[in-house]
Amino acid sequence: MSTNEMTLQSLLRAHPPLAPESLRARVLALEPRRAPSRRLVLVLAAALAIAVAAAIVHGLVSSSPKRQTALQGLPSAAAHRNAFAPATVNAGAGAALSGSVAAIPSIGGASTRLQRTEATLEVRVKDVASATTRATQVATSLGGYAQSVNYSSGGSSFIELRVPAQNVKIAISRLTSLGTIVSQNLSVTDLEHDLQAESAQIAELRRTVAALAAALRNPSLPDAQRVILQIRLANAKTALTQRVHARAGTIAAGANATISLTLSTKAVVVPVPRHRGRLGRIVHSAFGFLGLEGAIALYVLIAVSPFALLAALLWSLREARRRRVERIVME
Amino acid sequence: MNAASLEAPSALGARTSFADVVAEQLDAVYGYLVYLTGDRSAAEDLAAETFEKAFRTWRRFDPRRSSPRTWLCRIAHNVAVDWFRAEARRRRREDTYVQGQELVEELVEGLSGPLEQALRELSPAEREVVALRVLLELDGPAAARVLGISRTACSTRLSRALKKLEERIGDVHE
Repeated sequence: MSTNEMTLQSLLRAHPPLAPESLRARVLALEPRRAPSRRLVLVLAAALAIAVAAAIVHGLVSSSPKRQTALQGLPSAAAHRNAFAPATVNAGAGAALSGSVAAIPSIGGASTRLQRTEATLEVRVKDVASATTRATQVATSLGGYAQSVNYSSGGSSFIELRVPAQNVKIAISRLTSLGTIVSQNLSVTDLEHDLQAESAQIAELRRTVAALAAALRNPSLPDAQRVILQIRLANAKTALTQRVHARAGTIAAGANATISLTLSTKAVVVPVPRHRGRLGRIVHSAFGFLGLEGAIALYVLIAVSPFALLAALLWSLREARRRRVERIVME
Repeated sequence: MNAASLEAPSALGARTSFADVVAEQLDAVYGYLVYLTGDRSAAEDLAAETFEKAFRTWRRFDPRRSSPRTWLCRIAHNVAVDWFRAEARRRRREDTYVQGQELVEELVEGLSGPLEQALRELSPAEREVVALRVLLELDGPAAARVLGISRTACSTRLSRALKKLEERIGDVHE
């Protein structure tokens, strides 16, 4: 730096422009405005609070005892439907069965109704062979039997048991005590409608058979007419036999429940969740709901990202233009 | 609450109020804007606007990233650029725009006539770099950051501006 330059700089520094007092007072009297960034933070915080509150409310609502009762009361609701309408109830592993006999639903709440009960159990046991034996013993002790046993030396066994319908709860309870439940599914189908329909058809067919037999006893019946009536009578008797068999099958289906039991020693992939308390259910539902909200937010983000990129591009173009204009006006 | 009571969340050492920063930096920012615009009344308005913007964003100011002076000068620079653009549009509209505008009022009190004349003859960009580097004594990187240019470009611009000043003062004396 030359001596002249130093002198020049000293001169400039010696006479700095001083802000007038009016400007100082004006600046010191500034009142704050609400900063946009602060607003954004508030909006985000409010959105987060709403999301969490919604999740908690969802958790509270979905875990309330009233709702649980309503779910468990589904079979009763089915009973209020037309008595001839078939009804089916399925209870999976997630339906809080967890080996509890009390959790097994029944249709209509009346034991007099004919129902087909099918249960599927998967139980992890230490010794498959002895557990298989004990499972068949459970069935026979309750008046049932093992319809099929498929035993594999690889550490698993599949057994299909038939037990009297009235003993199915006890059977399931005993079978689940063989080891740790991996999965459980129970299906109850109302057969009353089928039974009543079949009974009505049988009665109708019997009346038809009786009427045809009476008509055929008439000696004055022309031969051609007699042949036709005989054919009709034979058809009616065949149909009657079929309906009687079908009804017997329906009654048999309702008399015995089918339990498909899988026993294995393999590691559990998805164990049946333990019955949660109310707080546990609230937390579980709330987190599930939060997860859903997060997924929605992610979808929104994906949808918005092209526009955000476009906005960023426009912003950078604007900045470039601003720099160019700045260079022009300043130089 | 006004500027006097607003404190920075991330303090400059201790908790520094905006009023302290105003007290320390107002003259510097005003001087910078006087040099940049060549117009004292415009500089006054722009300084007020600068501090208003700074006041709004004061809570976001991070002293670890730059000094208050650099930060304020950057804001003042943007405010001034907007002003220049508006002025250019206005002059075009009024058809009175003249290259190398005439500045009738005194630029800086106490400066010698030739030096003030030489300053006036510099472009705003040159006056700006002189203000930042000489008057406000910002270092090269800080001045470059305010100007939005590289350090080399900043240094070159300063040298050119000082050389022009020297030459023009010399011309006046001759």
